[in-house]
Amino acid sequence: MLLTDEEKRMMDGEYGPGTKRAMELLVKYGDSFDAEKFAPISYGHISYDFCPEDFWNLMTERVGRTQHRVTTHPSYSPEIWKQWGLPLADNWAGEHERKLKRFLELGWLRTETCAEYLLGITPRKGDIVSMGGSCMQVANNSLFGARVDRMGILISLAAAVCGRTPLMGLLLPENRYASHLVELDGLDVTNWTLSHYHCLGYYIGDQIPGFKPVAVNGLPPNVPFDFARALVISMPTSGAVTLAHVVGTTPEAPTLEVALGEKKPEHVIRVGKQEMTKTWERLNVWDSDVVEHVAFGCPHATIDEIGRIANHIEGKKLKASMLIGASAPVEALARRQGWADIIEKAGGHFQPVCPSITNPFTRRDIAGEKQAKSAATNSARCAHYLSTVCGVKVFFGTEEECVKAAITGKWKGEVPK
Amino acid sequence: MKIRAHTVSDGKAEGEAVVYNGPFSFLGDLDPATGKVPVPRHPLEGKSLANKVFVCTTGKGSSGGDFAAWAAKKNGNAPAAIICLESEPVLSGAVIVTGIPTVDRPERNIFELIKSGDYVKVDATEGIIEISTK
Repeated sequence: MLLTDEEKRMMDGEYGPGTKRAMELLVKYGDSFDAEKFAPISYGHISYDFCPEDFWNLMTERVGRTQHRVTTHPSYSPEIWKQWGLPLADNWAGEHERKLKRFLELGWLRTETCAEYLLGITPRKGDIVSMGGSCMQVANNSLFGARVDRMGILISLAAAVCGRTPLMGLLLPENRYASHLVELDGLDVTNWTLSHYHCLGYYIGDQIPGFKPVAVNGLPPNVPFDFARALVISMPTSGAVTLAHVVGTTPEAPTLEVALGEKKPEHVIRVGKQEMTKTWERLNVWDSDVVEHVAFGCPHATIDEIGRIANHIEGKKLKASMLIGASAPVEALARRQGWADIIEKAGGHFQPVCPSITNPFTRRDIAGEKQAKSAATNSARCAHYLSTVCGVKVFFGTEEECVKAAITGKWKGEVPK
Repeated sequence: MKIRAHTVSDGKAEGEAVVYNGPFSFLGDLDPATGKVPVPRHPLEGKSLANKVFVCTTGKGSSGGDFAAWAAKKNGNAPAAIICLESEPVLSGAVIVTGIPTVDRPERNIFELIKSGDYVKVDATEGIIEISTK
């Protein structure tokens, strides 16, 4: 790779051993993809809690405050887990606290969310952002037209330290046209809920090889933001899609022709009722109808979702435990609305944690004997990880079905006809 | 027999081949505590990848593949080397960060030439795969 003088200084160790190691790693990484040079990032996003402590220490050793903004993924709250009586919470405390202390010394922002765009941290079209977390990679790429390449959690830390990312992959405009086209076949979306869009995205992700850009054609123009986000974020769960154009909705897809770069797609995938039904059924992995836990906020909840949930459960007492994954600022707004109190009074909880991969109620290595053995969710991504990472039985259905299950402790959800 | 390939992550290693004609994620497809494939109904279910020369098509899945690879390597349960058709950013990042010798874009059809159980040497720095059939 061709390095600028500043990048050479990083490589030579002028900015300390952490920056040197990070730069060496990025050069090897860029070389392996034949990248010619680096691009400066407009901001970086990392995960300190998902990062092993030894790697974290190697990369951040003697790194000074960065000029660029760095934000972070959903985090752990061992102190609060302890207050909830989760027996193994203490095991998570020491490492979390040490890394958080260093994170704050670097002047990095404790956003702790997989949905920073809800906090006003929104890339503009064409902004280059380096980030870990496939859910926000695909959201920033697709919904805002930012230039984000697929990238692992550890490499994203190296990129954030150096403020550079190799110029390659989806950062290059010519690689952003859709090669795969999804056509909706006889689907009436008039009464579709968030869960239908999750389900559609999950099916599509499974059908696309590698991380080829995809265009989804046949939805009404200007699909509401929450629906479009549910659609795109579900794709890198079942697959590796990192850029999805929703024709008539997302910024790089005003028309199908523009999304495809005026070329013919390599493959066309048709989705009809049968594919939707089979995917919905596949996301349900349970035997008895007892619901011990309900998880919302995958990706992190919007204020509107929280408002709807509060409205449904006002004055009720929940039989199942309920966790809403939400960033601290969104939770603060819910509190000002009075909605957070309604939900907590009913027995629900808020956390800036990932309610899927590290849901403290469903992880045996956090909850120990108190682990919930079954959980309901309206998110395909959440259903996937609750089942594969947490190993619990999973109910997938609509927001309304999940709220009812939280109140009654029983699953009455139905697969849509 | 020698096959030329493209360097993803430098280094040399050798061992028994485990061949899987599909994509791979370090997060989910490899238990870092045992080195085995834990996925129900997976063709390699229960097989160990630890210290093997693992052959697959490409990477897939969560961006957490690299921290999972880090854990597997630390436990001595990572593959000795990886050969794939075409790598992708999460898999490449994982093998570079953990120093697993890896090549992609082999010049010949590795799924025809390498069978599970063959003894394979990978010189990833030079981009050479050497196969000796059992």
